[in-house]
Amino acid sequence: MKSKIQQLKDEALALLDKITDRENLEVLKTDVLGRKGKLNELMKEMMTLADDERKVIGQFANELKGSIEHAFGEKEQSIFQQEELRRAEDEWIDVTAPGNFSDAGHVHPITQAIAEIEETFKKIGFTSVRAPEIDWDYYVFESLNMPGDHPARDDWETFFVDAPEGEKGKIVLTPHTSNAQVHVMESQKPPIRVININRTYRRQADIRHLPMFHQFEGLVIDRGMTISNLKGTIDYFAKTYFGPTREIRLRPHHFRFTEPSFEVDISCGMCNGDASLNCRLCKGGWLEIGGAGMVHPNVLKAGGLDPEEFSGFAFGWGVERTMMMKEGMNIDDIRVLYKNDLRFVRQF
Amino acid sequence: MNILISYNWLKEYLDTDLTPEEFAQKTTNSGNSVEHMHDYAKSLAHIVVGEIKTVKPHPNADKLRITEVDIGGTVVEIVCGGSNLFEGHKVVAALPGAKVRWHGEGDLVEITESTLRGVKSFGMICGVDEVGFETLPHGEKEIWDVTELTDAPAGTALSIALDLEDVVMDIEVTSNRPDCMSVVGQAREGAAVVGSALRELKSLKSWKGMVEAPHVNVEEKELCPKYSAVRLEGITVGPSPWWVQKKLILAGLKPINNVVDITNYVLHEYGHPLHVFDADKLDGGKIIVRRAAEGETMKALDGKEYKLSTEMLVIADASKPVAIAGVMGGEETSATLSTKNIIIESATFDPVSVRRTARALNLYSDSQLLFEKGLSSQSTDAALARAIELVSEIALPQAVSSVMVVEAQTYEPRVFPFDPVMANALMGIEMEPDQMLETLHRLGFESKKHKDTFTITVPYWRDHDIEASVDFVEEIARVYGYDRFPSVLPEGAPPLVEPNRALVWQARAKELLKGSGLTETYSYSFLSEKQLANYGFKTDEAIHLKNPLSVDQAYMRPSLVPTMMQTIVENQALFPQADLFEIAPIYVPSPLPEGGAGEGWESSLPVQPLNLVMAVYGKSDSETLFLRAKGIMTRFLEETGVFTSPSQGEAGRGLELDRLVDGSRFHAGRSARVLIDGKPIGTIGQVSRSVEFAFGLDVTAVLVELDFETLLNHFSTKKTFTTLPLFPSVERDLAFVLADRTEYVRIEQAIEKINPHVVSVTLFDTYRGKGIDPGKKSLGVRVEFRADDRTLESKEVDEWMAELRKMLETEFGAMMR
Repeated sequence: MKSKIQQLKDEALALLDKITDRENLEVLKTDVLGRKGKLNELMKEMMTLADDERKVIGQFANELKGSIEHAFGEKEQSIFQQEELRRAEDEWIDVTAPGNFSDAGHVHPITQAIAEIEETFKKIGFTSVRAPEIDWDYYVFESLNMPGDHPARDDWETFFVDAPEGEKGKIVLTPHTSNAQVHVMESQKPPIRVININRTYRRQADIRHLPMFHQFEGLVIDRGMTISNLKGTIDYFAKTYFGPTREIRLRPHHFRFTEPSFEVDISCGMCNGDASLNCRLCKGGWLEIGGAGMVHPNVLKAGGLDPEEFSGFAFGWGVERTMMMKEGMNIDDIRVLYKNDLRFVRQF
Repeated sequence: MNILISYNWLKEYLDTDLTPEEFAQKTTNSGNSVEHMHDYAKSLAHIVVGEIKTVKPHPNADKLRITEVDIGGTVVEIVCGGSNLFEGHKVVAALPGAKVRWHGEGDLVEITESTLRGVKSFGMICGVDEVGFETLPHGEKEIWDVTELTDAPAGTALSIALDLEDVVMDIEVTSNRPDCMSVVGQAREGAAVVGSALRELKSLKSWKGMVEAPHVNVEEKELCPKYSAVRLEGITVGPSPWWVQKKLILAGLKPINNVVDITNYVLHEYGHPLHVFDADKLDGGKIIVRRAAEGETMKALDGKEYKLSTEMLVIADASKPVAIAGVMGGEETSATLSTKNIIIESATFDPVSVRRTARALNLYSDSQLLFEKGLSSQSTDAALARAIELVSEIALPQAVSSVMVVEAQTYEPRVFPFDPVMANALMGIEMEPDQMLETLHRLGFESKKHKDTFTITVPYWRDHDIEASVDFVEEIARVYGYDRFPSVLPEGAPPLVEPNRALVWQARAKELLKGSGLTETYSYSFLSEKQLANYGFKTDEAIHLKNPLSVDQAYMRPSLVPTMMQTIVENQALFPQADLFEIAPIYVPSPLPEGGAGEGWESSLPVQPLNLVMAVYGKSDSETLFLRAKGIMTRFLEETGVFTSPSQGEAGRGLELDRLVDGSRFHAGRSARVLIDGKPIGTIGQVSRSVEFAFGLDVTAVLVELDFETLLNHFSTKKTFTTLPLFPSVERDLAFVLADRTEYVRIEQAIEKINPHVVSVTLFDTYRGKGIDPGKKSLGVRVEFRADDRTLESKEVDEWMAELRKMLETEFGAMMR
């Protein structure tokens, strides 16, 4: 009995060795290992043996069965491999040819920057608000501590709409996003933590200035807000948005609607402060991002809030400028942003 | 405002051992931003005083000469084209390694030994403009002859010989601080930051004149709070000494003659504008400060005649205006080389009046700029005292008068309360009151204690910019240094506010359209009159700007289409096909009341609704483009939840397109209004020939313009689950021929209506051409039937299909295929 089984194994393995394709493999497999195959036939014969003999033979048969199955498995693997190799030859394609996802869309880098800025501030509890782009003088100047003939108004080269004056003065294209401040105070009570991102307009056009650009304005009003809170917020944004290699500098400055006021600078990513490069973009290695400060008591009053009770801070920065400061952006001329050259937009 | 400050000049008023870089750092941190630094010793390196030994003609060039120049111990040959080369004179010799600007133009060039027309030249003899002193008077082709300016021996570095070992800082001054627009102003700020004292300024206190003061009559005391004047007789007008000229040049000013130079010198040094009259040219020898009479004119120092009005303040003599107060002096009474007797004015004028006058005349000057920012009436004395001192030293007057001072009222310094506790509360740090007061004292403020609070007296030079107690906090904080403040995020729970729907959906919409393969564009909000006309707008349909930058940007766009057309036109050569979009507000004038804008009517803000424009353009046939645009639009409206499935067959529900017949903007056969639930939300269509032509379009463009603001009411993220069908559906295909002009949507609606078991109708084929009669088309439609309560039997579906065919034949004249 034992030798019969041994013989079956030897024969099976000899046949297996000669097989090179899947079809013959399947035939042999059925013949040897199938339900009605030779091995099963032998197993049936085994049932007639005495108990103790059957035990020994049975164990032997199972071992042999295992090794036959293993051999078949190996063979199967090698046939798969050979088939794959053949297919690789027959069905070769050029995987380096350009992918064919047609009509890839693009959102403009300004949209991407706005989304990123919004996202950053959202995480520290800011909500985006919407304010008019064409607004009353009152919200743009008067309520921001810049009465009638104040020379500080000259700092914003303002466009005026050709229309009669209303109760709240002339109609202007907002030269900054700070017009949102009193609008927000009129519609919502502290705590206020908002961001206004909008188009702004100034009468200037050169390599550093566009007549239309975007600003984002942050406004926080609550009890006990401090300069340290303003610094903390700006630091948070700078570290999150620009990353660790860029430096921030806070310089005292002057704005009528904040007191104290300062200017936020960031180190220039184009020249990294190397004067020999004659950088067209920055002043001595620093780029002005925009202004910031503690909301002036007169502005709080204009918004119907008691400056003895509430304090707050605000900051207003250019979106384009902020975006261009970003590591790796490499846009050295702001004017390219609004030319709608698809070769430009499609890089984003 | 920017000012150029020589560090040496500054140190005449401030004791400090700081290097220019260290000082710049400190003063920048406290609010006077140094933007650039110019180190003259560095920029004048390898440039020395040379003494011309011989001048010989050049053998090969008429206009060049060969000089032998002593450059200190050695004599070298330098070829030069200068017209004023004289033996024994001292000149500016740029030696190899020096950097000069050829003829004052272009970039800096490094000097090397070279050969000029066959003759070797060991350097260059420079003109004033070649070494950065172009503001000095000079003739063309003249080299800079420094014989009179220095006793230094040949070979001395120019920067040493002419006392130019200096660093000039270009400092940005904020508009509220005209008091910082001077050497003294910067020294004062510097003193507070570096902790040393400012040297005392000149004073008129002990001044006694030799002759009687000039007669001054101020008629408008409101507009001229203080006017002082002094008369100097028998002066000699001529060039200023080098030390004056040099300082003016470093300050970016142009030396003219000693009298003019002194006014500029004092303005730059003390920060207060002065004006000089030729006393002999003043009619009646007196000065009257009054409003201009209607119709009066005056020729100003810029040589132009200005027409004055009664709103304007002038300085006049007995018969005529001789200066526009605080703005500019008159040409006729100005000091010239022949002037012998002068009157120097030191005054202050109302800032608003100066500002209005300058705007009205479109006439600006350095003095006017300072006056309109607001100068203290108390800064006039020191400036005048300094001017008297300088004139006495330089223009050698024979007699100086007493000073006439006309002041509207006794000066009262401004005083505000100050609470250190409130200051700390705003700063978010814990600073001792003593430290706060020390900072204020260093800046010139005086304090008086009352229990826990103080009153602070504002120094006169800050009487315009300090307006409230909170301003003291800034003074303390900026001198302390913002870099030393801790950085702390605001505490407390964020406010609970509903996000703004328009902003949320705008961001979503952009991502969805990107996903549909569109590229976003950003255009200016401005349009030209021509662009408006190109798209059939009348000028009164758009917001007009009073002061546009150019006529190309005179209007605010009332539609996003014209700028989108512009974008297509600018890209069509490189990108013959593309799908684009923009989301932005449009600007629509608020409607006028019926009968026009009458008495009592007030304008209101323009309407500024967000709009969405999509453009699908290309060279393929416009039906394909139209259907792609419609597909993109439909996908967009579906994904934003505006409607959930194609039309359900009920009139006035879902998305409908309603043909446009007006062909002015769009192709009348290939355009439609877009309706949602029967209400218009926009337009889709191929632009008309006339629009194509007006913009210069070489491609075919289909535009979709949607009113995003109205769509906001329809956008929804709401999703509803419909139970999955329990029974299978049956699909049947149907092909038929019918009139080409039959609109598909009508067929679809008719099929849907025929039986409640129809769950969908899909068009899978449209065919025109061979085998189909002209004027006809063949449609292939798949109809899906399903029942909710059973599996449909083939027989019943057959019956419905028969009904359906009959309906198509009778209602649409269709022929089954």
